[in-house]
Amino acid sequence: MAAERAADAFETEALSFLDALYRTALRMTRSEAEAEDLVQETYIRALRFRDQFTPGTNLKAWLFRILTNTFINLYRKKQARPETTELDDVDESSLYRHMTGSSTAPASPDPEAALLDSTVAPEVTSALEELPEKFRTVVLLDVEGFAYKEIAELLDIPIGTVMSRLHRGRKFLQKRLYDLARERGIAAVRAMPRPAD
Amino acid sequence: MAGMDCDKCLERLYPYLDRELDERELAEVKRHLDDCPPCEGSYVFERRFLDLIRDSCTQDVAPSALRERIVLRLRDLR
Repeated sequence: MAAERAADAFETEALSFLDALYRTALRMTRSEAEAEDLVQETYIRALRFRDQFTPGTNLKAWLFRILTNTFINLYRKKQARPETTELDDVDESSLYRHMTGSSTAPASPDPEAALLDSTVAPEVTSALEELPEKFRTVVLLDVEGFAYKEIAELLDIPIGTVMSRLHRGRKFLQKRLYDLARERGIAAVRAMPRPAD
Repeated sequence: MAGMDCDKCLERLYPYLDRELDERELAEVKRHLDDCPPCEGSYVFERRFLDLIRDSCTQDVAPSALRERIVLRLRDLR
């Protein structure tokens, strides 16, 4: 009975992270069907290896580690969309500085606010899906609230690598969102020069 | 103690926003932001940008059929 109660408690707590695991899987696989399979496989493995989890430690991090490992081992190979692995050099300076430092008079007094205000969630998530996987994974784990150190442990990479991937990933997203805003013809953004490549 | 310059402040902006700095560094960045309107502007922009990313990425929920399927699979495996 006690073992069954423990199993129930483990499952209940593990299932409380289902939404977080699913949306992360969705962005990693870029497919609803594959995200569902990946999450289901994650839970099956979690249950199978439950004895390796130390109660009282971070179950969320443990589940995300299983998710990312399962993705790498099972799903990455059969991805339909080809993956790029590196980012072209993105402008390391702040987009904000770029906008405000431009000599062109902006059409709006607050073009950065216009950029952020005009951007909708599907644009952000599709920009994110364009990020090479190693950058995307770090950004997604940050979004789910993991600290640099936790991300480093989850992915078995140095903390400095986490910081640089996060930084470059975010700068890439800013640039894509800026391009999308210009394509949509947001007047205030159109008046701004494009950030340098 | 010499104050932090703008380059150093901007370099520390993400760790500052991510609450990854120790107390001393955190205080240095904060002091610089209080005194430097351009860096403060960058800070506000980056903070709003990170909020946008987080809000956009945390809207999806798992389909209820997936939840049911996983619960059943876990019961089977016990």
